[in-house]
Amino acid sequence: MADIVALEDVRVTLGGFQALRGVSVGFAEGKSTVIMGPSGCGKTTLLKVAAGLIPPDEGRVLFNGKDIFLLSERGLLDMRRQNGFVFQDGALWENKSLFENLSLPLQVHFPDVPAADRNRRVIRALERVGLEESASERPAALSGGEKKIASFLRALMTEPALLFMDEPTLSIDHAMTDRIHQIIRDQKGRGSTIIAVTHDAQLTSTLADRLVVMDAGQVIAAGDFDEIKRSRHARVRAILSEVLKDIASYDTDLLSLLDGKGESI
Amino acid sequence: MVAALGRWANGKARDYAYALGFFFQVLKETALFMRRKQVAFRVLVLQILFTGVEAMSIVALIALAFGAVIIVEGGTVLPRFGQTSLLYSILIVVITRELGPILTAFIIIARSAPAIATELGNMVVSHEIEAYMSVGINPIAYLVVPRVLGVTLSVMVLTIYFNFFGLVGSFLVAQLIHPIPFVEYFSALLRTLQLRDIVSTVLKSVVFGVIISVVATYQGFKVSASVTEIPRSAIKAVGQGFVLCFLADALITLIYYV
Repeated sequence: MADIVALEDVRVTLGGFQALRGVSVGFAEGKSTVIMGPSGCGKTTLLKVAAGLIPPDEGRVLFNGKDIFLLSERGLLDMRRQNGFVFQDGALWENKSLFENLSLPLQVHFPDVPAADRNRRVIRALERVGLEESASERPAALSGGEKKIASFLRALMTEPALLFMDEPTLSIDHAMTDRIHQIIRDQKGRGSTIIAVTHDAQLTSTLADRLVVMDAGQVIAAGDFDEIKRSRHARVRAILSEVLKDIASYDTDLLSLLDGKGESI
Repeated sequence: MVAALGRWANGKARDYAYALGFFFQVLKETALFMRRKQVAFRVLVLQILFTGVEAMSIVALIALAFGAVIIVEGGTVLPRFGQTSLLYSILIVVITRELGPILTAFIIIARSAPAIATELGNMVVSHEIEAYMSVGINPIAYLVVPRVLGVTLSVMVLTIYFNFFGLVGSFLVAQLIHPIPFVEYFSALLRTLQLRDIVSTVLKSVVFGVIISVVATYQGFKVSASVTEIPRSAIKAVGQGFVLCFLADALITLIYYV
């Protein structure tokens, strides 16, 4: 299957720190890829570069074979409509209500659709997750989990074919985690391409078709999930073990976790 | 030592190149603003409300006070030299040409520049700017251009408003010192006022508005990752705004009147 997004020898330096050091990796269309690695290894940077939010200092980022950073204004807008991004901290617009947070992407991408139709779509989305009562609230009035859900809804408003997720279940309670897992499963069921950075073993087990393992700004392993999780590469084993907080019994516990037989971490 | 100097020069050159690039992006997006189906129009209206409408009372108060001060000082000093007739020229020169534009700019720098830099800086830190990009919104077009247009329009209108209240204030105080009929006072002022004074005040106010808004938005966008950078950016927005407005004022006056 063709890569919907591909990075070619990408290098990024942020604030004097080399966040990505010559990363080349492809993300197959229709597949779900989980990116794992220790904190500070460049996972979020990789995700944002792949989404065209951070320009690389060197190298190319291709979306459907075209360099994202050379796209025309119209081409870029079209690409954004096909992409959704869920930020680690939600990144909702604090000066807008929840309703406005969800309706703005529709105003941008579907300016010719009547406002009443757009508004109905927003209300339906909020009803689906039980947040319709909070439509007029500012993000500051929402809980952490609700913000995360709202961030998902915003990313999905334009029904994107490609979804980027940065730690979608970090720092939220079990009930919210379950709801987010359900949203992600639905998205995967629709055949969307998903690229996720996560430490959530349960989510990884249900989501990942492919696994990318990073260390110190480089991709050290990338391939099918089943193949990578059984890798004999010492550093890959160490990182998966470290990331998933498995200490001694890697072969049994880690595989159980990644196979979805363990508890969520 | 040489290496450190090189790094410093390199950093400065990069900063100036970034600032220049930012300015040209703002110019380009401003030119395109009216042509686009803008979702940013609401941001423009809100900016005019915050910068223009909400500053009207303080601008009126300061203008009245300054108008009063000028007529008290002029009315006291000029008769000693037998130059009472110069009072109208002084009012026009001081209020219309100089104080109107520069004091209005200072009021807006103090009120709006740190607010804009802080708001945008917070948006950078909380990844809201990236969120705008992720849904296809150009942050320069959506966040910067409405602020530049809103602040510039507000400074321009407030400067005219300042001039009006400055001259009205001086009239009110004149009634206490040496009552002059309303018609006589304003017809004398209008006789003294020249077209180039009006052009000067409008030109200065537009230049100051652009400087204040571009500097404030640039400083807001320059925040990279930490909330501790935000107050520094707000302070720079104020400091650089003052300095650049003073320099622009001197430059325009030199070119225009010398």
